[in-house]
Amino acid sequence: MYQYDDHDRRIIIERAQQFRGQVARRLSGEITEEEFKPLRLQNGLYMQLHAYMLRVAIPYGLLSSTQVRRLADIARKYDRGYAHLTTRQNIQYNWPKLGDVPSILDDLADVEMHAVQTSGNCVRNITSDPFAGIAPDELEDPRPYCEIMRQWSTFHPEFANLPRKFKIAVTGTPGEDRAAVRFHDIGIRIVENAAKERGFEVLVGGGMGRTPHIGAVIREFLPKRHLLSYMESILRVYNLHGRRDNKFKARIKILVVALGVEEFRRRVEEDWEATKTPELELPDAEVARVTKFFAPPAYEKLPASADQLTALSLGRDRELGNWIKNNVVGHKVPGYSAVVISVKMPGVPPGDVSDTQLDAIAGVADRYSFGHVVVTHTQNLVLPDVKTSDLAKLHAELVELDLGKANVGKLTDVITCPGLDYCDLANARSIPLSLEIAERFDRIDYLNDVGDVSIKISGCINACGHHHVGNIGILGIDKRGEEFYQLMLGGSPGNDASIGKILGAALPQDAIVDAVEKVLDRYLVVRESADERFLDTVRRVGFEPFRQAVYGDALFGAAAEKGAE
Amino acid sequence: MPPATHWVVTASFTDDGSNAYRRADGTWSRALAEAGLLTEEATGKVHAAQAVADEQRLISDPYVIEVHASDSKVEALSARERIRATGPTVPIRRPDSGLRR
Amino acid sequence: MQIIRKREITEDDFVHVPDGAPLPEGGKPIVTLARYTAERDALLARYSALGVRVPPDKLPSDIPDLARLALVALEFPKFTEGRPYSIARQLRDRHGFEGELRAVGWVLRDQLRYMERCGFDAFELKPGKPLESALEAFGELQLTYQAAADDPRPIYRRR
Repeated sequence: MYQYDDHDRRIIIERAQQFRGQVARRLSGEITEEEFKPLRLQNGLYMQLHAYMLRVAIPYGLLSSTQVRRLADIARKYDRGYAHLTTRQNIQYNWPKLGDVPSILDDLADVEMHAVQTSGNCVRNITSDPFAGIAPDELEDPRPYCEIMRQWSTFHPEFANLPRKFKIAVTGTPGEDRAAVRFHDIGIRIVENAAKERGFEVLVGGGMGRTPHIGAVIREFLPKRHLLSYMESILRVYNLHGRRDNKFKARIKILVVALGVEEFRRRVEEDWEATKTPELELPDAEVARVTKFFAPPAYEKLPASADQLTALSLGRDRELGNWIKNNVVGHKVPGYSAVVISVKMPGVPPGDVSDTQLDAIAGVADRYSFGHVVVTHTQNLVLPDVKTSDLAKLHAELVELDLGKANVGKLTDVITCPGLDYCDLANARSIPLSLEIAERFDRIDYLNDVGDVSIKISGCINACGHHHVGNIGILGIDKRGEEFYQLMLGGSPGNDASIGKILGAALPQDAIVDAVEKVLDRYLVVRESADERFLDTVRRVGFEPFRQAVYGDALFGAAAEKGAE
Repeated sequence: MPPATHWVVTASFTDDGSNAYRRADGTWSRALAEAGLLTEEATGKVHAAQAVADEQRLISDPYVIEVHASDSKVEALSARERIRATGPTVPIRRPDSGLRR
Repeated sequence: MQIIRKREITEDDFVHVPDGAPLPEGGKPIVTLARYTAERDALLARYSALGVRVPPDKLPSDIPDLARLALVALEFPKFTEGRPYSIARQLRDRHGFEGELRAVGWVLRDQLRYMERCGFDAFELKPGKPLESALEAFGELQLTYQAAADDPRPIYRRR
């Protein structure tokens, strides 16, 4: 993975020092909260419902075991012994004291980490495919370009006060989008043109939130050397023309729709023609320098994995077999597999990991996966480079750590925002719903029968829980101070991107998981065969059967009416 | 006595972000039970604006909330403020709660 | 009034003239873009050094005779206003403006480095904010990654 040079290191150290001064000025009363807010937000520090929250950047989700151990240390020393994996491949602490934050930043800087631009109206952490570098279907590793853009966006003086936050995602697998690039302010796909040259397809204006949009292609093929100059022109047009009078209409997607894609493109191209200096061009040498850090580790020469995987998944140990089927992902190198560690289990808020688990995960990564761990946007962890012959041993260790659930991509692998239990913006709680789902459907045969289905829960319209792209989406709303939930069906974040639609009237908290169960039971009845995924069934039969299942009987009729008031 | 609607001024303590509730004497408490109950929302808004002007240091972001007060307790009206006053309703993961041993 | 100019505290030799107020006999006035647009020829003839104050919703192309202006003041009505950063860069990089580029309005020390990197060289701080300690901001975050008005070379041409 990328290693800081002296320049990178000094920038992060200087930033920690600067923030120490800003905190001191706030604590002394020299600056007001109104003045401090944009400063702390530029550094990932929120004021939440009960305490401050510090969001730590994990560039494109990649961590070393050393960094994981440091995250565990920080959880122990300055927080309440746990950390939370976010839907943008970051990690957050829910209980830091303001006076401790500068020391946390020092501790992070020590292992080449920071909280720079993890909130605020600036370019946020750049996300990518959690299987970058190892996916068999990948055209090219996107991480070097993520890193180049990380550096470019860090303290970019022109784009630190955009109309609203700005999210960029990159995928190197044009055939299978695991980074949801169509739902980002800028989505980048590495593609090959007719002349077999590699470049970038650039999409703009995707996003979730209040008004979900699927991004539009603004340039089909951008030569690699122009990456940064083109990003600058998009951001400049947005910075100058994006709406600043209404924060709900300030994202770039609103500007792209207001101008039309053609006019937006024309403005970007006009700026780009005038500003793409030779200096800005990305030299091959720089791409090569950064790419070297992502070179494959020292893989052994091993036989292909297929036979071993079949044997393991059909073996006598059913727990192991299910885990192999659900949590193990193909790898481009023979004899290796990628493992998804599920951080979704009954009784634990999704994505919460304790300090002891983090330490143990670091140990497991060292012993089985060249010391690397990846955070996924589904709030799980990936060990990218595990020998297939080690899988059984690794599984046994993970089970001991309470991290052995075989539910990846299944019903109980729920994406959940922190919701009203923690978040200052939320309208309703999210975590209790996912705990209820985890509890009620904790039956592996049922999970396997229902198959691949994603449930995504957001506690408010900001959509941190990605409810718009859940096969089943749940959105918390506030009705006169009480929590209600809308049920949505049909969303998908990937190549077949679609935005879910509301099934019917909002339901109270004690009815929503029953409603999910009714939807699933109806799916099991109406699907064409066990091979037809939930999403495909919804797309084929439409909403009516599910609407009947949920709202048909009297109890739900009454509940729904209450919700519709 | 049946619960009656009152208003309370709340904020966050600047040092750790925990809840602050304005007492009747203008000082700040961490407990909703100690909050000064106001019979007019407008009075609360005046206090909140005054707190912004006075307190550059101790507390941040004051605002007014609605509560029900009876002899035995003070309870916020909205789900949000109830959860804010009592803490997360879900388990907080303690260091070893996830381990089977 | 004191301002920061080229990283030093100095007495302001320009004077802001609100719309409708009488123009000074001599000296260096800063007028609004609206007034400048209406009375351009007379103003340029009368003053050897003229400044224009530009709100954030105007683009460089809205400022006529840029080359004859001694000063452009870009307004920050709010701390979080971001457009003047891009306008400043366009004025310096695309329009070659070489006069004084001044930040006015809600200007605080923590923005000064960003503003300077975008081409601002003079700063009127928000009233009541200390100028002396604000100078420390120029010593923060010395190292940079991007090409900007201060250096056309991104980090990969400097490493």
